Amino acid sequence: MASPAPILAARGVSKGFFGNPVLRDVSIALMPGRVHALLGENGAGKSTLINLLSGALRPDSGTIEIDGQAVSRHSPPEARRAGIAVVQQELSLTGSLSIAENVGLGDYPRRFGLVDYAALAARAKAACDLVGLHEPLATPVGELSLGRRQMVEIAKALYRKPRVLILDEPTSSLSATETRILTTLLEKLRAEGIAILYISHRLDEVMQLCQHVTVLKDGTCTADRPLEGVNAAGLVRLMVGRDPGDLFPRWDSTRTDRTAIAVAKLSAGAMQDVDLEIKAGEVVGIGGLVGQGQEDLLLGLYGAIPAKVVSATIGGQAGLPGNVPQANARGLAYVPADRKREGLHLIHPILTNLMLPAFARMPALKLRNRAAERETAMGLALQFSIKGDLGRAAQALSGGNQQKVALAKWMPHDPTVLLLNDPTRGVDVETKREIYQMLRGFAAAGKAVVLLSSDTPELVHLCDRVAVVREGRIVTMLDRGGLSEEAIVAAAMGAERERQAA
Amino acid sequence: MSISDAGILSRSRIRAIVTSRPFLTFAIVALVWIVASFVSRGFGSYGHLRYLVELAAVIGLVAAGQTFVVIAGGIDLSVAAIVTVAAVGLPLFAIDADPTGLTPILAVLAMTTAIGLVNGLGVALLRVHPMIMTLAMATFLQGLLIIIAGGSAVTAANPLVSWVGNARPFGVPAGILVWVVVSVVVLVVMHATPFGARLFAMGAGPLAAKLSGVPIATTTMAVYGISGFMAGLAGILVLGMNGQGYVGIGDPYLLASIAAVVLGGTSILGGLGTYAGSIPGAILLVTITALITVVNASPGWRSILFGTLILALLLLSGREAARR
Repeated sequence: MASPAPILAARGVSKGFFGNPVLRDVSIALMPGRVHALLGENGAGKSTLINLLSGALRPDSGTIEIDGQAVSRHSPPEARRAGIAVVQQELSLTGSLSIAENVGLGDYPRRFGLVDYAALAARAKAACDLVGLHEPLATPVGELSLGRRQMVEIAKALYRKPRVLILDEPTSSLSATETRILTTLLEKLRAEGIAILYISHRLDEVMQLCQHVTVLKDGTCTADRPLEGVNAAGLVRLMVGRDPGDLFPRWDSTRTDRTAIAVAKLSAGAMQDVDLEIKAGEVVGIGGLVGQGQEDLLLGLYGAIPAKVVSATIGGQAGLPGNVPQANARGLAYVPADRKREGLHLIHPILTNLMLPAFARMPALKLRNRAAERETAMGLALQFSIKGDLGRAAQALSGGNQQKVALAKWMPHDPTVLLLNDPTRGVDVETKREIYQMLRGFAAAGKAVVLLSSDTPELVHLCDRVAVVREGRIVTMLDRGGLSEEAIVAAAMGAERERQAA
Repeated sequence: MSISDAGILSRSRIRAIVTSRPFLTFAIVALVWIVASFVSRGFGSYGHLRYLVELAAVIGLVAAGQTFVVIAGGIDLSVAAIVTVAAVGLPLFAIDADPTGLTPILAVLAMTTAIGLVNGLGVALLRVHPMIMTLAMATFLQGLLIIIAGGSAVTAANPLVSWVGNARPFGVPAGILVWVVVSVVVLVVMHATPFGARLFAMGAGPLAAKLSGVPIATTTMAVYGISGFMAGLAGILVLGMNGQGYVGIGDPYLLASIAAVVLGGTSILGGLGTYAGSIPGAILLVTITALITVVNASPGWRSILFGTLILALLLLSGREAARR
């Protein structure tokens, strides 16, 4: 293949913040018709590199080139004009605007100086069709699930007919089906000669989709090569700088006969008539396409949303907990998926985040003992290897460390049931491994673990059983023997097949 | 810990205190006092400064409740009406059998606390926005006051109330003593109890607080109850200092209480702040009012000047750093 000029390239760029170098002499070239993977652990400098490419940041040294020409003043509008579109990891949508308005935002077609809504709808529809987004275009984005919002975000990038498409962890909140639609779409765009930069923590996707890979580690480029001849373990070695070993811990049954949770005909939010029994020492997975009501099941058990039940035994007591404090008193703990909004108080110190469940349970007007608090928090930080000064605000932590804080804060209460909502979303490989080991450790210690996850391999490797949810019901309960990624996906997609058949 | 570590720690702690908002607000107050005492004779006299702090006590009491509410992520727009309710309502509770005058005071405080609890009930259980709930409450109370008190001023013949308003044990006005005691209790509750920690968590992220097991409904009610109690206490103090209660007596304390909270560095968005800032905030507000009075201006201009100065001060010191 003759090598054409890269559409977008960075040549030896460096960037530092407050004297800390984040990127050092990194080069990357995005070729037309190629899907280029960018890998690295959290904090390796991936986001900074994207921000340099999209003009959001200026390099301290080095140059950004478009079509082989160095651009002196690269800025976001400049980048948009050059056809560079970025799908950010943090969704940048406006919840109260409709799908069509969000997709076209900033580039509305005009007629006589007014927004031409007919043209907007037509163009937005074309973009939405590409990503398989079939909801009515007038739907406010705020009513969509996280996975669908991600698709809107991608449609928004496609709306501008980009020549370079940068996707920052596009699949972290997507279901298997949506991921497949995206994969097909990217293949198609690649064939049309678009240059694609693809960032993901899911190596199987990268192996399947990409042709070329750049690996960042601590701000330097450790690999820039075709993907041919590299396997997943090799990629992890490049990212982590050492042999990956096994991502998942060995699975041993630690199931006991003690019942931790037993509900009959539980209805909460979108979930209907759920029968579920979970034993102590067991890890039960909750799978299925994103947004089928799985979260409502956890929140219903946790007493955080109104729920109805025919009979229930949770934490040794009959009936559902009426509210969160009651659930906590029965030994339940919940770790939310959206750790920035639901799991932590980012503006507060790490220490108070770690102590909050304790504050919630202590007598309201008992005097606090700062020395004891500090000791407890330091113990937790040590146990979970949370790096960072405990007096600093939690927002200073990386995503992986934030997730560990959200989990660690429950440990002083020694919960008997852990309800985990996608605990490894957007978390780097190393932290993932740590979290997996903790989960098996909890089960071995006799805790019941309920693991809701959008990551199918995780469910297969960690769980004793997996309940697959579709349209608000548990459609299949897969036992360890029958557990495989294919079985989970097949059960999750049952409805889709029926719909296609109809 | 080695000695050098301790040295570094204490130095960083001193630095943290010196750059903290409560300290800076105190420094501004001191600066204004020093400059003003040079410019205007009599301003810096002990008697005048004592008088300023006595006036600030009323704002400080209202701001104590307001600080609780704002840190917990709400706002109480009914404090002015509650101050008036306390000041006008107290004489109605006069009981001849109790010569100390304590019973009416307790009755008024119970009533204003109950008003606050109703606010909290609306916010926590009926999920009415705090602004709407407390504004509606204020309007309701104003209507009630007009019906009960009419246009006439009421005089309190309560010995304890006039003692609080006028007595000077050890040369310090009783109002200031009340304020000191309240301040100590408030600071302890806010920063040294789990209840206080829950407030900060609720203000910074109600959903995360709820999912961490914080009892949102009871804490919300408690916070508005405290605000009602504090406004009631302020109403009694202002009645004692004035000798008379009338409809509208509490009006200045709504803006003043919120301004004191924000001047003291508490985030109006909730989740960050301290009453230690609201204290100098209240004194600063009274000082500004006094300065404007020294400048010989008509009431209209005074009001315009006051509003402008508050805005200017907030722009200088109180701007929120970008967050979330």
